Amino acid sequence: MARHQLARRLPGAMLVALLSAVAFLWASPFLWTVVASFRPEGAGSAGMASLLPDFTPTLENFRNALESGTFGLYYVNTLVVVTGLLAVQCVTVSLAGYAFARLRFPGRDALFYAFLLQLMLVPPALIVPNLRTVVDLGLYDSLPGVMAPYFASAFGTFLMRQTFLALPRDFEEAAAIDGAPWWAIVWYVLLPMAKPGLIAFAIVSVTAHWNEFLWPLMVINSPANQTLTIGLAAFTRGAEGGKEWGVLAAGTLLVMAPLAVAFVTFQRRFVDSFVFSGVKG
Amino acid sequence: MSVAGATGALESVQDRLRAKATSMRRRRMRLLPYALLAPSLLFLALFTYLPIVRVLVDSLFDKPHGTGAGEAFVGLGNYARVLADPAFRQAALNNLVYALGVLIPTLVLALAFALAVQRSTRLSAVLRTIFFLPSLVPLVAAASLFFFIFLPGVGLLDHYLAKLGLSGPNWLGNSDVALWSVIGLTVWKNAGYYMLFYIAGLQNVPRDTLEAAMIDGANAWQRLRFVILPALAPTTAFVTVIALIQLLTSVDHVIVLTRGGPSNATNLVLYYIFQAAHENFEYGKAAAATLISVAVLLALSLGSLRVMERGARGNG
Amino acid sequence: MTMIARLGKSALAMCLAMMPFTATAQTKIEFFFPVPVEGKLAREMTRLVKLYNESQKEVAVIAVYTGGYDDTKLKAQAAAKAGKPPAVVLMSANFNVDLKLSGDIMSLEPFLAAEQTTRDAYLQDFWPALHANAVVDGELYGVPFHNSTPLLYYNVDHFKEAGLDPAKPPRTWAELVDAGRKLAKGDRHGFLMPAGYDYLGWLMEALSMSNGGRYFNEEYGGEVYYDQPSMLGAARFVEDLIFKHKIMPQGVTEAGGVSTSFFAGKASMVLLSTGSLSFIRENMKQGYGVAFVPRNVRNAVPIGGASLVMFNGQSEDGKKAGWKFIKWLTTAETLGGWSRFTGYFAPRRSAYDKPEMKEFIARNPDAKVALDQLPFAKPWFATYQTVAVRKALEDEIQAMMNGKKKADQAVKDAQKKADELMRPYVEQTALKLP
Repeated sequence: MARHQLARRLPGAMLVALLSAVAFLWASPFLWTVVASFRPEGAGSAGMASLLPDFTPTLENFRNALESGTFGLYYVNTLVVVTGLLAVQCVTVSLAGYAFARLRFPGRDALFYAFLLQLMLVPPALIVPNLRTVVDLGLYDSLPGVMAPYFASAFGTFLMRQTFLALPRDFEEAAAIDGAPWWAIVWYVLLPMAKPGLIAFAIVSVTAHWNEFLWPLMVINSPANQTLTIGLAAFTRGAEGGKEWGVLAAGTLLVMAPLAVAFVTFQRRFVDSFVFSGVKG
Repeated sequence: MSVAGATGALESVQDRLRAKATSMRRRRMRLLPYALLAPSLLFLALFTYLPIVRVLVDSLFDKPHGTGAGEAFVGLGNYARVLADPAFRQAALNNLVYALGVLIPTLVLALAFALAVQRSTRLSAVLRTIFFLPSLVPLVAAASLFFFIFLPGVGLLDHYLAKLGLSGPNWLGNSDVALWSVIGLTVWKNAGYYMLFYIAGLQNVPRDTLEAAMIDGANAWQRLRFVILPALAPTTAFVTVIALIQLLTSVDHVIVLTRGGPSNATNLVLYYIFQAAHENFEYGKAAAATLISVAVLLALSLGSLRVMERGARGNG
Repeated sequence: MTMIARLGKSALAMCLAMMPFTATAQTKIEFFFPVPVEGKLAREMTRLVKLYNESQKEVAVIAVYTGGYDDTKLKAQAAAKAGKPPAVVLMSANFNVDLKLSGDIMSLEPFLAAEQTTRDAYLQDFWPALHANAVVDGELYGVPFHNSTPLLYYNVDHFKEAGLDPAKPPRTWAELVDAGRKLAKGDRHGFLMPAGYDYLGWLMEALSMSNGGRYFNEEYGGEVYYDQPSMLGAARFVEDLIFKHKIMPQGVTEAGGVSTSFFAGKASMVLLSTGSLSFIRENMKQGYGVAFVPRNVRNAVPIGGASLVMFNGQSEDGKKAGWKFIKWLTTAETLGGWSRFTGYFAPRRSAYDKPEMKEFIARNPDAKVALDQLPFAKPWFATYQTVAVRKALEDEIQAMMNGKKKADQAVKDAQKKADELMRPYVEQTALKLP
């Protein structure tokens, strides 16, 4: 009897053990980042790689990181960029996603592929032409200039199209019979059901633009308009000689902290909403 | 009498108005899709189609750097030069290895993670967070952290391998290993994000079929193979498309970790383009390589889209 | 769309409001600068520029931090193409030839003429090795700002432990091998040098120069000497350090890995830039010493570093303002202060006559060694297609360091590749006959 129970539980226990091991492996870069950010001798020592925290933690690395730029301003600018961009994108991708998923019109497939082209064009090829356009629009050295190339999102449109396609048509048909106009159907019927799609898109959009480096570097000149990753570059892009791992770790934590805190706080709600409404792709 | 006549006249006017309104609405409905696409199309025109046209024009001209020669039309000359360049061929080959090397483990791990954490328990909440966190780190910062992890002798990896009595290769400095180290970083960074799609996709696995399979005595592997995987096919197709596009259009980590070295072992097509355009003053070559990569990506994603749409139709 | 336009406008208005108020008579110029070593250098540069802006009324400089050296070149060129060329850029000095050829940067000769001085008189105070990188095709294009050479750093504790005299670091290649053999132990390397792109080319230049060579033709951008005995000997030397003497690990180690290994006591001797002096002084916990790069035939090292250049496309006022700012940034006082803060050399000799500098050198004997090596310095390679031509050598040497190629073959292949890259230029210049 006992042996039976053991035999039944053993695979489960082994699975948990394996899972924990993988999770530890996955988390180890972060563990090291946290430990290293509080470690003195941040440029390297024999025990630099140890995951065990030191007995004499220091805030020196964070002080150095914070002092190399005006981080308060960087946070505000970055926040303005990601939220402003996301607001515009939500409108453009929902409308376009709806059109591609639900409406029939001549040239639909061709237009859809034309949208997808945006995903294929690699960023280095875009720097100079897009910078010219941004200058022509009078948006050089401004936050809208950082956002403008991304106002239309093929990825978001694609994601919303898939989300709308996966939704049952019954509700909208009922609403249409009741005489509701298309925008009321989208706003009151489809969008609430498509929220997980928007959330999935929001994660990509926010993390991508929160973390973007090269394009903001090209557009922004005024220190007043600089974003977080440009501040971070002060530790990551040094060419000659040294790497200060402690400051780098502290800087990385400073940059990713708001996103990580937001994810951990809303993790349940947001994964659940993702899960229970089924973006199946 | 007169009242009835008036009502009749009114009704006919109303009828006419209604008919006019309907036809107007119909016309409006015909234009509606284009109106909905217009905002996106405006920005696509400015920041996608305009650059493509500029790149296309650039790819047909050549202005040899520093020779004083003017811009000359060379037709497909730049394309021929790119395709004949051994560095480009190596980059293309590296890209193939990189794409498959990232894609397959990413999909397998994303699915495995999703299966492990699909239930809403406290442990799986913690695990989900751990698996997802890497996708929140800036690629530039992630690459810098992995630069330390991969440091020969003193890095995180070698430090702990030494404790186990093992010694690793020079992760980024050995030309046979470096590409796989870059692949490792990318898998770590991406798997958690695609896990979310699989968690969602798993909700569409039919419960009754799963239970029936269990009653029939199917083991875990058989259930996965014959029930779960087929139900997840649309998710897999979707994730494949976006994962491929994402990993073929990001290059920050190569810039930080290896700059394509040693000896071009980690040079990817995107970085090749970057070098041609921004280091070597070879705009025509960069433009031609860009269009070649766009064509390949387009063919790839159209292919997978077609498979995906067919799968979705068969499924639903 | 109107909403977007309004959003754009209001944000733009906000940005404008955030810019400092400026009088109309003031000329506003942009200054792009990278941070080569540490984050805090960005803060110091911003402080300097603020100081300048407060010191006078005619010019307002906007200091723009632009990432690494490569990012800076990329941003400056992209901005120029988009019609917004920066006035002044702190640019890696070996890009000057290419940037002159591409028409991006302007000759500074008119400014010299306006001040009734000559190029030779102007450059008089700068270290002789810097002149070649400042001048392209006989005209002044860049004003040196901070400079470095390679330097040998060694762990004093390891020297004592291995029975070596820390006061007598290796002066020749033979002594280096000898010391390295005694120092290498277990997972500790006797010697280590950065071999990532950019650094490797510079160090191979150092080794080939120490071997009597020149690496490139200082006066003509279409020639490199990769397959000559001086470079062949340098390549064989590196190959032997790895495979014969086994005092250096196989494969490529980037600069960040080299400094970390040195701090961790896993490498006893390393070749790094003098630009890392402050960084090492602050972070090395064990005793360390510095010495000249060991020689085989003679003592010689290449210069590295950055110079101030001006981009074409400025208004007349912009040009004048840019030159005025460059002159302020390159006074002996400013250069000396920046040098003490960063560890780089001040390019002006007179900077070292100042009392603060004398006191600093007396307090930091390692800085004295670096300074003493300066008379042996030679120009940094700068050719047509500098980056690609440099990479041609680096790819081959890296293959050699991974055991994929022998030194003799590597330098031959590198020369062939470099010649191919320079052919368009050579055909338009040296081989273009009447």
